[in-house]
Amino acid sequence: MAASLGPPAPTSQNPVQPDSAAKLLVIPALVGCLVALTLGIYGRLHSPTGVAVDIVGFSSPATVKAWLASVALLFAVIQFGSSLVMYGKVPWISAPSWIGGLHRWSGRIAFIVTVTVAVHCLYALGFETFNARVLVHSIAGCLFFGTFTAKMLALTRRGMPYWVLPLLGGLAFALLVLIWFTSAFWFFSIFGFRR
Amino acid sequence: MKISTPIITLIVGVALAASLLFSDMTAVSTKKADLAAAAASASAAAAASAAATASAAASPADAQSSSATASPTASGFVIPPHANYVGQVQGDRGSVAVVVHDSFAIAYFCNGGTQEAWLKGTPHNGKLSMTGNDGARLTANYALGHARGTVVVNGISYVFSIIAVHRPSGLFESIAVVRGATIKAGWIVLANGTQVGSLNPNVNAAKPVSQAAPKLNLSTLTAQDGNVTITATPIDAETGSGF
Repeated sequence: MAASLGPPAPTSQNPVQPDSAAKLLVIPALVGCLVALTLGIYGRLHSPTGVAVDIVGFSSPATVKAWLASVALLFAVIQFGSSLVMYGKVPWISAPSWIGGLHRWSGRIAFIVTVTVAVHCLYALGFETFNARVLVHSIAGCLFFGTFTAKMLALTRRGMPYWVLPLLGGLAFALLVLIWFTSAFWFFSIFGFRR
Repeated sequence: MKISTPIITLIVGVALAASLLFSDMTAVSTKKADLAAAAASASAAAAASAAATASAAASPADAQSSSATASPTASGFVIPPHANYVGQVQGDRGSVAVVVHDSFAIAYFCNGGTQEAWLKGTPHNGKLSMTGNDGARLTANYALGHARGTVVVNGISYVFSIIAVHRPSGLFESIAVVRGATIKAGWIVLANGTQVGSLNPNVNAAKPVSQAAPKLNLSTLTAQDGNVTITATPIDAETGSGF
């Protein structure tokens, strides 16, 4: 084994090729981690105000957020469906030319909607840990924006391993579903469908 | 150099977050300024009753910003005339609700089991000193958005720092006659919707022993105590309900 005689022995069994492709993921992943950590630390350190901008037509900020989160989830489902079509995973549908545009725009809308909800969460309520639902929601919320950032950065780099985008996209979708279940779904199940 | 679209998406997201954060901060400081300005121009007693009538008719959101009897304290905090504060006490040993409505305040502590206390008091310049049965007492400072203090129930002292909330979060009470005895139940619904409630099965007993309250249905404001349906009333600063 010649490699073991060389000065800084690389640990990889099969060298160069997959190594360099995966290396492209390092910076997006680090930035994503940084985003998630920043949100969590801000949410924990900032003293929650309990109040924020009131939105006309809704009874409380919590109801606004529950509905906005549901809108985001709807667009995220479109994201999931369109990506399945794009990757040819739906046998009886061949990807139409506009599927890429649908995927990008549904993603942008979902992201913008989640940002408005998340700002209120962080400013008025903060990162909380006092029961399992709230803890899971807080962690998933931070991870979601980290994952989303990593995915956006990964999109800009060529030569990524093929599994990167489906992995990050799937992770973001799964986290959003988790966030929705631990907030809006729970809210509606307790308080009923109210505005 | 052309910036790729995913980067633009991220930049738009960050810009939106920043502007929302800024408008949240502005909204909170505007509320403080409004309340402070109103307090400076209003003469206390007459305005207090006018504001109470006006905000009872207005929507909760309007009531928040149009209440006209706030007063800034020496320390610079702004004291809202109407506010609901709820939250857990330190160490997760129970929850407390403090509801201030003009010149009267109601507070409730419970742990969802045997420990509970209802307290009454008079707010004075952002300070509360309240008392309840069996030596229960509560002292707190409150201002726009938050309240902090100590509540002593059955000889045990609990420290709290809690935030302002709107319906459907807040404090709920039910008094009913069940099986010949007058029962009194209280529920605290936290900002995240978690509810905790205790029920006193006989308020006239010499040594009543409280128990966990049945789950309050927040859509119908009813709870099922055995086979009896009891109805709860919100104790809400913004509408004056329960005062």
